[in-house]
Amino acid sequence: MCVLVHCTYSILLCFIRGYKTCSESNFGKEQLLHYLHAVHTQCRLLEMVCYRSQNFTDMASDGEFKAHSPGETIEALTKEAEALKAKLEEERQKLNDVALSTVAERLEVINYLNIKPRRVLKGHQAKVLCSDWSPDKRHIVSSSQDGKMIIWDAFTTNKEHAVTMPTTWVMACAYAPSGNLVACGGLDNKVTVYPLSLEEDVSTKKKTVGTHTSYMSCCTFPNSDQQILTGSGDSTCALWDVESGQLLQNFHGHAGDVMALDLAPSETGNTFVSGSCDRMVLIWDMRTGQCVQSFEGHQSDINSVKFHPSGDAVATGSDDSTCRLFDLRADKEVAIYSKESIIFGVNSVDFSVSGRLLFAGYNDYTVNVWDSLKCIRVTLLYGHENRVSCLQVSPDGTALSTGSWDYTLRVWA
Amino acid sequence: IGLSDTAVMDMMISNLQQQRQVTEQLRREAAIKRISVSQAVLDIMKYITEHEQEDCLLVGFSSQKANPFREKSSCTLL
Repeated sequence: MCVLVHCTYSILLCFIRGYKTCSESNFGKEQLLHYLHAVHTQCRLLEMVCYRSQNFTDMASDGEFKAHSPGETIEALTKEAEALKAKLEEERQKLNDVALSTVAERLEVINYLNIKPRRVLKGHQAKVLCSDWSPDKRHIVSSSQDGKMIIWDAFTTNKEHAVTMPTTWVMACAYAPSGNLVACGGLDNKVTVYPLSLEEDVSTKKKTVGTHTSYMSCCTFPNSDQQILTGSGDSTCALWDVESGQLLQNFHGHAGDVMALDLAPSETGNTFVSGSCDRMVLIWDMRTGQCVQSFEGHQSDINSVKFHPSGDAVATGSDDSTCRLFDLRADKEVAIYSKESIIFGVNSVDFSVSGRLLFAGYNDYTVNVWDSLKCIRVTLLYGHENRVSCLQVSPDGTALSTGSWDYTLRVWA
Repeated sequence: IGLSDTAVMDMMISNLQQQRQVTEQLRREAAIKRISVSQAVLDIMKYITEHEQEDCLLVGFSSQKANPFREKSSCTLL
């Protein structure tokens, strides 16, 4: 509304100025032409604004845009947003009746964990960036800065496949639920799927499924081999159909690179969580593309997000050297896992099968094992000679795999 | 007056769209049902205690023979 008024006023002003100039000086004709031109431009602008308002009311049928009404100025909306944010904080605080560690006081302290390094997987010629366990609990796929993707038999440490990617910095890799397909991608902005075959060269049957406008940082198969979910440096997540390569759903909401995502554990679940350089943790509905919940609290980039096995909480690891636990039903942060002596960023987190242990890989080359309920550190796993870039508990919970910039992967059990 | 005004107009309209989306998102989030932290925490603890015995990394193996990643013994397959 105020835009229209502004235009009309400007047009009137032009006419008045034009008239005044003509009557005052001898350069009348040129000045008049100049002002007539200005008036013409204003009229066109007015036309454009009317056209746009028309479009807005047309879109009202989508339910997305309501008709442009005076109440919906930017000022009014911003004010409402501020009020809503304050209300959210208030509601969350009202229900914050106890600290997690207090409730967990009655549990016994975890005295001893018999977790030792059992295997070292050597073969990559550069930093290991990502890894994923196969559903068969025995194979691991890993990707590296050297542009290679290797499939290992973790029991024997044999390399079963080695695939060379056309790009270096393969930042993400994932096994499909069937165990017959792996997906990977990175700086090439694409997610490429490779059917695993013992007979022929794996690269021959590869298929590019989707392309982002920036690097791909993470990928996973939601329920089957047919769909793949990706997160990208372009700040969006996307759900693709593997067969046709079609984009099924787009997830907009982050203001920075998406660094990690994880699916909710439930078989029927349709939600996933994403963590980003904008320090936000967002929960998404896969079907509608809507963000259903958001959490803030971290002081720096979030590098890893994982659902608690119960599905009711998510753990995150960040460059601010802390891991945090956010409860979905209480809609707030319920625990911070940190120590003054820990100053290096966390790259990757994962829960043990029950959810009692939270494993976190840090830039100081160690893995810290936290008691997720008592919020204290149980033990440290040493062995890597450079930062731990990825870690994952095996599907049946018998082992933990870690990947590092020291070119190796290690299996602990 | 001139082309820069069109650009300004564009910005004003997209800022409005953006602000509208932000506010609508906040309205959705404010409407979620929440439970108390004490209740939420109890539920998580319940899940953990129910599954604790299956958690090999936590409780270990009854004997190391059951650990699929135990150190390889000297036996070889013939």
